[in-house]
Amino acid sequence: MKILYSWLADFIENPPPPEELAAKLGRIGLKVEELRRTGVSFTGVCVGRIEKIDKHPNADKLALVDVNDGKAVMRVVCGAKNIAVGQHIPFAKVGAMLAEGELKKAKIRGVESEGMICSAGELGLEGYDNSGILVLAPETQLGSDAAALFPKADCVLEVEMLPNQGYCLSHYALARELSIFYGLKLKDSSVFQGEARGEAVPVEIKVPDLCPRYGAIVIKGVKGARTPEWMAARLRAMGANPKGNLLIDGSNYVMYELGQPTHCFDIAQLSGPKIIVRRALAGEMMKTLDGQALKLDPGMMVIADASKPVALAGVMGGAYSAVSDATEAILIESARFHPPTVRQAAKTTGIKSESSYRFERGTDPELPLKAARRLAGLILEAAPGASVEQITDNCPVKYQPPVVDVDPARINAILGTGIADSEIFACLKAFQPAVKDGKPWKFAAPSWRQDLETIQDVAEEVARYVGYDVIPSASAMPMLPSNVTPLWTAGSELKSTLASLGFSEVYNYDFVSARELKVCGLDPAAALEVKNPLSQDFQYMRPTLLAGLLKTLRYNLNRGRETVQLFESGTVYSRKDAGKAEEVYCSGLLYGDFPEGGSWRGGAEKADFYHLKGVMSRLFAGKGGFRCETARKAPAYFQPGLCLEMRLGANSAGYLGKLSRAAAQAADLKDDNILYFEIPLACVAQAGKTEFWQKIAKIKPVSAFPQNWRDLSIVLEEKHAWGDLERAFSGVQDLASARLVDVYKGKNIPAGCRSLSIRFTFSSMTGTLNDSEVGARMTAILDKLSKNFGAKLRA
Amino acid sequence: MNATDWKERLSAIRDSFSVSIGQKPAGDPEALELRFLGRKGELALLLRDLKDIPLEERKPLGALGNTAKQEMEAKLAELKGSAPAAAAAAVPGLDLTLPGMPFPKGSLHPLTHVMNRLAEAFLKLGFTMGDGPLIEDDYHNFEALNFPPFHPARDMQDTFYVDAKDAAGKFMLLRTHTSPVQIRSMERQEPPIRVFHTGRVFRSEAVDASHSFAFHQIEGLYVDKGVSMADLKWTADAFMKDLFGSAVKTRFNPSYFPFVEPGAEVDMSCVFCKSGTGRCPVCKGTGWLELMGAGMVHPNVLKGCKYDPEKWSGFAFGGGIERFAMLLYGISDMRMLYENDLRVLKQVQ
Repeated sequence: MKILYSWLADFIENPPPPEELAAKLGRIGLKVEELRRTGVSFTGVCVGRIEKIDKHPNADKLALVDVNDGKAVMRVVCGAKNIAVGQHIPFAKVGAMLAEGELKKAKIRGVESEGMICSAGELGLEGYDNSGILVLAPETQLGSDAAALFPKADCVLEVEMLPNQGYCLSHYALARELSIFYGLKLKDSSVFQGEARGEAVPVEIKVPDLCPRYGAIVIKGVKGARTPEWMAARLRAMGANPKGNLLIDGSNYVMYELGQPTHCFDIAQLSGPKIIVRRALAGEMMKTLDGQALKLDPGMMVIADASKPVALAGVMGGAYSAVSDATEAILIESARFHPPTVRQAAKTTGIKSESSYRFERGTDPELPLKAARRLAGLILEAAPGASVEQITDNCPVKYQPPVVDVDPARINAILGTGIADSEIFACLKAFQPAVKDGKPWKFAAPSWRQDLETIQDVAEEVARYVGYDVIPSASAMPMLPSNVTPLWTAGSELKSTLASLGFSEVYNYDFVSARELKVCGLDPAAALEVKNPLSQDFQYMRPTLLAGLLKTLRYNLNRGRETVQLFESGTVYSRKDAGKAEEVYCSGLLYGDFPEGGSWRGGAEKADFYHLKGVMSRLFAGKGGFRCETARKAPAYFQPGLCLEMRLGANSAGYLGKLSRAAAQAADLKDDNILYFEIPLACVAQAGKTEFWQKIAKIKPVSAFPQNWRDLSIVLEEKHAWGDLERAFSGVQDLASARLVDVYKGKNIPAGCRSLSIRFTFSSMTGTLNDSEVGARMTAILDKLSKNFGAKLRA
Repeated sequence: MNATDWKERLSAIRDSFSVSIGQKPAGDPEALELRFLGRKGELALLLRDLKDIPLEERKPLGALGNTAKQEMEAKLAELKGSAPAAAAAAVPGLDLTLPGMPFPKGSLHPLTHVMNRLAEAFLKLGFTMGDGPLIEDDYHNFEALNFPPFHPARDMQDTFYVDAKDAAGKFMLLRTHTSPVQIRSMERQEPPIRVFHTGRVFRSEAVDASHSFAFHQIEGLYVDKGVSMADLKWTADAFMKDLFGSAVKTRFNPSYFPFVEPGAEVDMSCVFCKSGTGRCPVCKGTGWLELMGAGMVHPNVLKGCKYDPEKWSGFAFGGGIERFAMLLYGISDMRMLYENDLRVLKQVQ
């Protein structure tokens, strides 16, 4: 909210300078985000006219100028190039206070100057051409004060307002805060004190719980009431757009000054003498001041005359009872409305006004009539023919302040302080001079602080009063056990291993578009939809991390990168009955060369399925029971037949494989060689649910005797998978490992067959195996291979 | 032999050692060791001759001899240590400046690094990690945290809704802060409780240099008997000192969050100011950085979780991860964190 320093100063005796004021506001929780000086502060400068220009006898670039200030002609030395006879200019006499200080008598190159013709900069004006003297309009009055031509010096403070600070939303309210917390003396605003000439306006409140108070003043003879310039200037500084009609501008002015929104109705447009406050009828229509046709509902409160609603209570007035320049008589409304009802109406209709902003935050129950009287006073001042005819203060529900029992020990217990009782009492007194001594103090909050309901609320005010710095930094907290979640541990382990294997972690948004889902072969209708997305690009909650990873892949390829290794750990979403399900995944992709860039000895290969499989094997190394199996049901975005399901023990640990061509094309790739994996973290975390010591595999003893190895090359039909062969080796006595060293197809191998070379390593715990013992074991292996798989020894 | 002769001989041995060791190229250190320090070396023989000198003069001479021995040993050790490097530089045809074999070098995201570090700071202070869903119901995200329906505080957090319904049949929302985890933790556990949570949150805001519709927060909660704002101040201060060093100062200013009362904003003294310039772009010359929100848990929040506010009290504090990351990595535009440009990400180790 904008606060004008000069306006605030109307309500404080001896206000501190703006910077000090800003600092003081900040320390009580009213942050000043910007402090901007406006207007001019020079004195002793009048409007002059250039009568004659002569050359300076001793300087080429200077001139001697005769200036007429309306009374006399004075001679001045001037160096500006844009001077001309007849110009009206700001003329500073000796002793004038300018932007850089007092103007002194001076002799310039031997000639005495009786004053100075000023540039915009010398006057402290911003936003003007400063290359020469400032030329004023020819209609300006010679000898008049030049300062009057410009806005007066002021300062605009941009104060951040938090939602609970409904009690601060005006100049007077901020002055009041300063007076409470810093003891500055508060001045009141002057209001119309007189009586009405006639009877009170009839106001019928049908919903007293929604409108506990309704004040109204009827004024006649307001036609032609124009907004005075000083008021218009303040409204402009507030960023409001003054209309020139005092009935409209004055209402805004009072709101900025006191915090109470008011509204003026043109009485001639109201049917019947009575004002009715009621709920809107279903389907009732109203046209607002700004021309919108609103369809109302019973959740909204309206101000109505005998036949129709004339205002949406607290939000905006209706068009047809609006005041105009032709208005003769008005009814000023100044009421208190139920905050949630006003907010609901503002939300439903989409109208956010300065008025609804204040009502939503709660207005001062004691303020309505004072604000109406203030507005009446302003109107009477500007329109001498106006008279106050009727005044009403209908208050069906009297405001009862909450009363808090304040025990100073409790305040100190909350804050952890040792503030003296007397100081706490002084704070209560600053708020409520009527508070009486005798513990516990019965503290009835002042009317503008309905939010002070509990001892905690009062504790905060005490802390603001003494300053938050008084709270010590001290603790004797007992120990409590602390740990991380299994999901966090699982995620951290996978993430650091992937990073050490060359993958870079990315963070994508959780929102995806219908197009991105289709690219992944997924049906948007099955995905969880955002009801109020920022745009179509962010319409669905991601059911897979793949969409974001593909986007990131494309982003980096477009920036000249050839190899991309990415992963992301994040939540994916799905529907579950009428609700939703969330799962955390760690997914990644590999595209390009592996390892990236190779080396000067060569060695980089085009990444393929087996690279990613190697990465997965490394990722799960040491996690018991990891294996890859044929995928029975793989996600749609994998290429058929190029995908394996990973398993940890009995659980699925996700999939790895090559992405579908459609997905690759969506990433604008020439080839379709994107390798992708996805791992549900919960499955990895499950291994972490048992205690860490139970997860650790016991170390197996190793043989003290030398080991032996034999290579075996066999030829067999291609249909037999290596995985099946590997299983057949289990149970061979003393076999330590069987490592595949070569796979060969081609010359000398029959069609439909391949050759496998395997290195078998044997190790016994009881002794060194001799040749014949090893030979016997190899024979057993070959027999098994030929019997089960039709393998033959390669010639 | 008298003491004077003995001293002269020692001096002669030292001179000839100095000459031998100072030669270029240096002599074989093993041979020098044998000649001077060996069992039958010059110095050993001289020391043995001490026995001929009267007892009262022997002691200072022995000390002199030992000092000389130690000096020679040190010089020889130096010579031995430097010799092989000089030899290796001379292997022809071997360019040791060629790059080493490439090992894969990936990276963790800056936000992960920061989140890990902040989580560590909480763990050290005895907070245990809590968890909660990203799609929340209105109750946990707002009502239980003392944001009544139609309260203007809801404007602080523009909310995304999804087409999934909660148990009460209301549309669910994307959590706007990590605070629902406070509620879920208190619902699960009796006091005392000391828990923290870090994770992603969402707000329906336009993206710019300092706003994002998805971002991350971290926050801690402590509820026990007699917890005061002084405990909160100590904890927030210890947290900041852990992250930014013991010289850092913290300051509280009044602030407002519906789920705390009293509420505070935690400022940290600016560690990025270059001394004397007075025009720090990070703190804009104020000397303070606004980093976290904090406060004493509101009695309505405790009541909602069936904690008796007359018996239990607590505090909560937390902040945005992106803010920390931007300060630490010197990033001025938050969007950089979600662009995922590998040229940026790979700089982070």
